[in-house]
Amino acid sequence: MGKWKEKQKYLSYRITLLVRASLFFQALLLLVGCVLIFTVGMSVWLLAAGALYMAVQDFIFYKWVMEPYHRMEQRIRLLAESYTDAILSREWEVLPSPSTGLICEKIMLLMNPSDSLKMSKRQAQYLALQNQINPHFLYNTLESIRSEALIAQLDTVADMTETLARFFRYTISKVENFVSVEEELENCLMYFSIQQYRFGSRLSLEIECDPEEKEKIYGCRLPKLTLQPILENSIVHGTECKIGTGHLVIRLERTKEQLLICISDDGIGMDEAALERLNERLEKSTLTSGQQEEDGHGGIALANVNNRIHMLFGEAYGMQIYSMLGKGTDVEIKLPIFTSDRELENREAMR
Amino acid sequence: MKKEILRMERVTYMEQGNTKLRNFNMAIYEGEVMGLVPMNNLGLDAFLQLLQKNLPLYYGYIYYRGHMVNCWGKPNQEWNRISIIQSESILADDMTVADNIFVLRPGFKKWLIQRKILDRQLAPFLEEIGVDISAEAYVSELTHFEKVVVELLKAVVAGHCLIVLYDISTFVSDRERIWLYQMVQYYASKGISFLYITAHYEETKQLCGRTAMFTNGRIVKYLYPQNATSDERYLCRRGGFEKKLREKIEQHAKEDKKGTVFEMELLYTPKIQGLSFTVASGECLILQDLDNRIFEELLEALSGEGKPESGKMRVDGKETRFRYDRRVAIIQEFPAKRMLFPYMSYLDNLCFNLDHRLPGVWRSRRMRESIYREFGGIEEPGLYQKGVNKLTQRQKYDLVYGRILLQNPKVVFCMQPFHGAEMPLRIHICELLEMLLDKGIAVVILAVSLADSLALADRLIKIKDGTNYVECSREEFEGLPDNVPWKSF
Repeated sequence: MGKWKEKQKYLSYRITLLVRASLFFQALLLLVGCVLIFTVGMSVWLLAAGALYMAVQDFIFYKWVMEPYHRMEQRIRLLAESYTDAILSREWEVLPSPSTGLICEKIMLLMNPSDSLKMSKRQAQYLALQNQINPHFLYNTLESIRSEALIAQLDTVADMTETLARFFRYTISKVENFVSVEEELENCLMYFSIQQYRFGSRLSLEIECDPEEKEKIYGCRLPKLTLQPILENSIVHGTECKIGTGHLVIRLERTKEQLLICISDDGIGMDEAALERLNERLEKSTLTSGQQEEDGHGGIALANVNNRIHMLFGEAYGMQIYSMLGKGTDVEIKLPIFTSDRELENREAMR
Repeated sequence: MKKEILRMERVTYMEQGNTKLRNFNMAIYEGEVMGLVPMNNLGLDAFLQLLQKNLPLYYGYIYYRGHMVNCWGKPNQEWNRISIIQSESILADDMTVADNIFVLRPGFKKWLIQRKILDRQLAPFLEEIGVDISAEAYVSELTHFEKVVVELLKAVVAGHCLIVLYDISTFVSDRERIWLYQMVQYYASKGISFLYITAHYEETKQLCGRTAMFTNGRIVKYLYPQNATSDERYLCRRGGFEKKLREKIEQHAKEDKKGTVFEMELLYTPKIQGLSFTVASGECLILQDLDNRIFEELLEALSGEGKPESGKMRVDGKETRFRYDRRVAIIQEFPAKRMLFPYMSYLDNLCFNLDHRLPGVWRSRRMRESIYREFGGIEEPGLYQKGVNKLTQRQKYDLVYGRILLQNPKVVFCMQPFHGAEMPLRIHICELLEMLLDKGIAVVILAVSLADSLALADRLIKIKDGTNYVECSREEFEGLPDNVPWKSF
């Protein structure tokens, strides 16, 4: 009884029930008609015409109401599962009523990636203001440390400080949103050389790229700080906990439309459940990012990079993680190919 | 620049409310030979179906040759030009090779078939891969390998850009497999892409550029050939089982084999040319046919269905005629499908071969139920009342091997016991075979490839041209090629 009460809350259930009852009634009428043909000699043609009318009516009802209804239902379910693309990529084919249409429009407006991007930007600016630091003060201090180290003939400390200053210059002072692959890789190498002071020969990094394609790939643009957080993740969560040496590979490839970057480590990897959880978090929309951070299950850097890619280029691009316990982890990033920021602006305008 | 042939993007596919593929992503590029190792078969059939037909997706997009062919909410139910070559051939048996390749092809519009022209058209295709198959030969006359080659040619002629080779090693011999690899590499160099699906990473390592590890409807990892330690680590996944198996093998090796229980001497049939072998109690012997052609006739001779030209068979030292004998059991290929009676209950299936030991078994239900109670290993209550169709694959295998155990033969011939089984089931089959060996029953595995079988084997006899070619004991397994799974055992 409780189940029935729960179900009848939904109009869709009530309508389905009525449709089923109507179909049953139609079948009953046909049966009665058949009986009447044999008993009182009712015209067969009359029954056939009645049956045909019912069939045509049911067919139209199925095609005009039921099929679009199921598609609408699927889209709403996808939205509930955080597939924003499902909502934003297409116009609504049917809607239950004009007022639900208004609600849907409102949702689409709220979920618009450019609006989300603007909101994120505003949030970032606010945070930057709140945590305002004077980068010049930081660079000057690092320069002073370097000078002191050189005087004291501590070359390693001097080099380390210089690399750190260069790394911060790229991370803090470089204001562009997009950088070339070459610049991003240089930043990764800087970050890696800092880490190497800690790990020594326990850690190695290799960049794999087809020599014939290198120039074109290195000239492609991508969002700033896309690779370094992932490399950091690979070192911290992948190889740091591993006994023995760790090997990292950044593999760069391109197709006609996509730039494919894979950052692999041969670290401890993760089990299937953890992998599924992580990939699920990445698949969730940008809207749930705040909620994800509150969950506190780690992988925030990956989710942030992925969200930025989704917001900038849509859900067709982004990140996928592959991993096996004891076998290491691969983070595959898919980005659109563009070589100038103007190309991206044109693309934005086209969307 | 890589050219994309197939891309599956965030594909979620459901069948009757069950999710078969969940956020599945995969891309195959032009001329690539990609491996796929399913660690279980969950979602694999759905994946293969989706490759060929654009079925309704719950979510996601599929692109083939740069075009979106399937998209959630807009299924077109059309077929993609992708071939899947597997043990069940798609060729028409009663038609010739040329007919299968050219006539049974979408887009063939001729009203009159001119055989000479078809033969002439086929000749260069056969020539470039160095295969000698008559265009006029009927498909029913071809060997398994020749059928695979014809299917491959059919796909190439039809202009398919992606060809899937599914579990080829289970019905193509090792020698033929190497030949097939050369053909695959040749066509890959011409831009055709291949997806090679097998249960063993050792196989894909030989042929493929990268290998996707597939489990529960998802790809969990790609392995690259340059990653030299990948295979060792992959094997570590089976670590627990390996350890247990190694202990068993060591114990098994220490046990004295009690003497010959079965002997075959100079068996001659049209395809077998003087095959001889012996097997001792509790011993596991592998007969590997390098040409993949004698097993059918061997099983016919053993079961009494076919009469051999000459030869002698001895069971327990006594010569016996080639006829159905309960002391010699046969477990056919795909036993879950071929050896169970779907309209009989679990218990009736279990007791099927028991009447020679308990003549009154079919008259007394109580006797059968007491057998069920005594027969350990089956824990689920009420299982014996279930119809076979309601059993899981694992339970079906338990039932087949349980029936053999109750039959208590001297020797069991297992035809490709691991064929078509997913990895966890393969491990379970190993355990079932081990159970038979522990009871002192001799096991003869009839295999085309050595995959999996080697784990339990005491001896291996390779058969070439229908007769004994090479024999090696467990100590000599080290000399086998590196790509043989379980070799190190």
